[in-house]
Amino acid sequence: MTSQPILEVTDLTKHFPVSGSALFKNKSVLKAVDGVSLKVYPGETLGIVGESGCGKSTLAKTIARLYEPSSGKIVFKGQDIGALNSKALRAIRPKIQYVFQDPYESLNPRHTVSAILEEPFVIHTQLSANERAEKVCELLTKVGLPTNCLNKYPHEFSGGQRQRIGIARAIALNPDLVICDEPVSALDVSVQSQIVNLLLALQKEMGLALLFIAHDLSVVKHISDRVSVMYLGKIVETSEGQALYKQPHHPYSQFLIDAIPKPDPRQSKKRMRLTGELPSPIAPPAGCHFHTRCPLAQKKCKEEQPKLVNQSSNDHLAACHFIEESLNQWDKIWASSKENAR
Amino acid sequence: MSSFSPQALRRWQRFKSIKRGYYSAIAISILIVLSLLAELWINNRALMVKYEGAYYFPTYGDILPGETFDLDYKWETNYRALKRQFKSEPNSENWVLMPLIPFSPNENDFIEGEYPPYEPSLASGHYLGTDMSGRDIFARIIYGFRIAIVFSIFLLSVTYIIGIAVGAAMGYFGGAFDLFFQRIIEILSNVPILYIIMIVASIITPNFWTLALLLAGFSWMGMTWYMRTETYRENAREYVQAARALGAGHSRIMFLHILPNSISILVTFFPFSVVGGITALTSLDYLGFGLPPPTPSWGELLQQGTTNLEFQWIWASAVGALSVVLTLVTFVGEAIREAFDPKKYTFYE
Repeated sequence: MTSQPILEVTDLTKHFPVSGSALFKNKSVLKAVDGVSLKVYPGETLGIVGESGCGKSTLAKTIARLYEPSSGKIVFKGQDIGALNSKALRAIRPKIQYVFQDPYESLNPRHTVSAILEEPFVIHTQLSANERAEKVCELLTKVGLPTNCLNKYPHEFSGGQRQRIGIARAIALNPDLVICDEPVSALDVSVQSQIVNLLLALQKEMGLALLFIAHDLSVVKHISDRVSVMYLGKIVETSEGQALYKQPHHPYSQFLIDAIPKPDPRQSKKRMRLTGELPSPIAPPAGCHFHTRCPLAQKKCKEEQPKLVNQSSNDHLAACHFIEESLNQWDKIWASSKENAR
Repeated sequence: MSSFSPQALRRWQRFKSIKRGYYSAIAISILIVLSLLAELWINNRALMVKYEGAYYFPTYGDILPGETFDLDYKWETNYRALKRQFKSEPNSENWVLMPLIPFSPNENDFIEGEYPPYEPSLASGHYLGTDMSGRDIFARIIYGFRIAIVFSIFLLSVTYIIGIAVGAAMGYFGGAFDLFFQRIIEILSNVPILYIIMIVASIITPNFWTLALLLAGFSWMGMTWYMRTETYRENAREYVQAARALGAGHSRIMFLHILPNSISILVTFFPFSVVGGITALTSLDYLGFGLPPPTPSWGELLQQGTTNLEFQWIWASAVGALSVVLTLVTFVGEAIREAFDPKKYTFYE
């Protein structure tokens, strides 16, 4: 890509202190986000996938400065927002908005829809009550909700409708970047696609950049221009969406891609199987975090942390010591699944 | 379009279904309204006087000296005597309309040749008798109720405002602020309030406002714990983060987002705080550290009654009034608590 990234995150970490006993403070920390670097370009969608507990949501909330970053830089439109004080931060808030995972939790149960959607204008603009009401109606139409629901409370809506309200609130102030933290994972499958399509339509219309977090790879595939795969607080692979799904470089990404259900009855049921549990982020394994579960792990993996480096010409980054072996493994799987299909 | 959330409506329905509490609430509201209008039905000033073709309404406003009605004195007209006088005049066009109970709570109504207290009697119009200095007990009970309930509601508004603000701030900011205020509250909670009031009462004579503020200053701590926990809980929820992501300020989040969601637990304490306020004022008055005489007061009446047990109507009136009011308010409190209880069945219904 030629244009400047709208968001550039460098070596971002977010550590939570884990309190030990009251008397003897053992200073263990939970490394939820452990040195993440990523770029989001204007108008594009960066998908972030990873299993539960790998730090996706923490990453999102840290970028939105809902959490204080422990270290690292968050540069948004040339300004390091990781270091801003709360007043300066408030001024930048309208440009970075957040769509939450659970639409039942993220709307204040005591506020009506009009109160919820008016709030951004009350905080950041000097519009009169009438102008605000007009804006709210505009927003409702934009997200496909009837304008007669202004005085209803959130609990009177279905999950999908509530998520539409959440999206309307996020786009109210014409943001440049919308961080979507698993916006569809709490919804029915049929509603998921509606919400995803709404997001895509809004993106096109308003030129939004989306940081789209999910654990559902097929949703991410549908929506993302580029995809990052996260494992235990680190990004292990970043590439263009289609390239990742065709040829994942990192062994972990291969497991994920292979686990996507395929609508093909003749397909082999034999899959790569990921063994073991996600290691504790309080005491992550030394070396490559994935070595405890990786079939290709060797001595080097246990000792040395691989860096996220460019593996090919077109911006395909992966963090693995044995990329070639890994690619060979994928080719074998690919070949076998083709054979089975025949 | 209704401005109440369905949950609030459901609670209201449930409150109404608990008959005991519902009727108590009606009764206590009627009592409060009647006591606020006490001048109109318990007063030694006439409601209306017609004299020489002119009408007078002496209830509110300045006193009308006796000269207004061509009597030979300059102090306030004795309307009961005036009424008797007009009645005795044959074919008189003049008349006096007295309130239902024609006595003021601070007025000593002496009967010639007899020492107070006077027994309850229909003939004299003292339906509950008089106290040791000849003041009508019924009038003093109603006016005393008015002072007690207003005092109690004022006291609890102040304690709630301070308690909610401090508790919410503790829960919201947490950390060192929280720890600091916890210690402050622990210290304040251990100050014996009665001694403080005794000391203050020996230096200045407390009036209604100073007494209420003094009590409030040492009793706002109870609310903070509930508010603090509620705020802690709500603060971690996503709608608060959503408000934060919008750039909402601290006070906006605290008062517009968290408070409406945590207020319901405080509503259930409300009637019990009213009971507490009435009891506090009554006991202070009983001990003589409350409002200065001759303020009509249940505590003072109770004190007279207990020192003169042989005049049963004095203590009986005070105890009766106190029991009725406290029971009614407690019933209301019970019903509110049940209405806010998420579990469905109750034995109060």
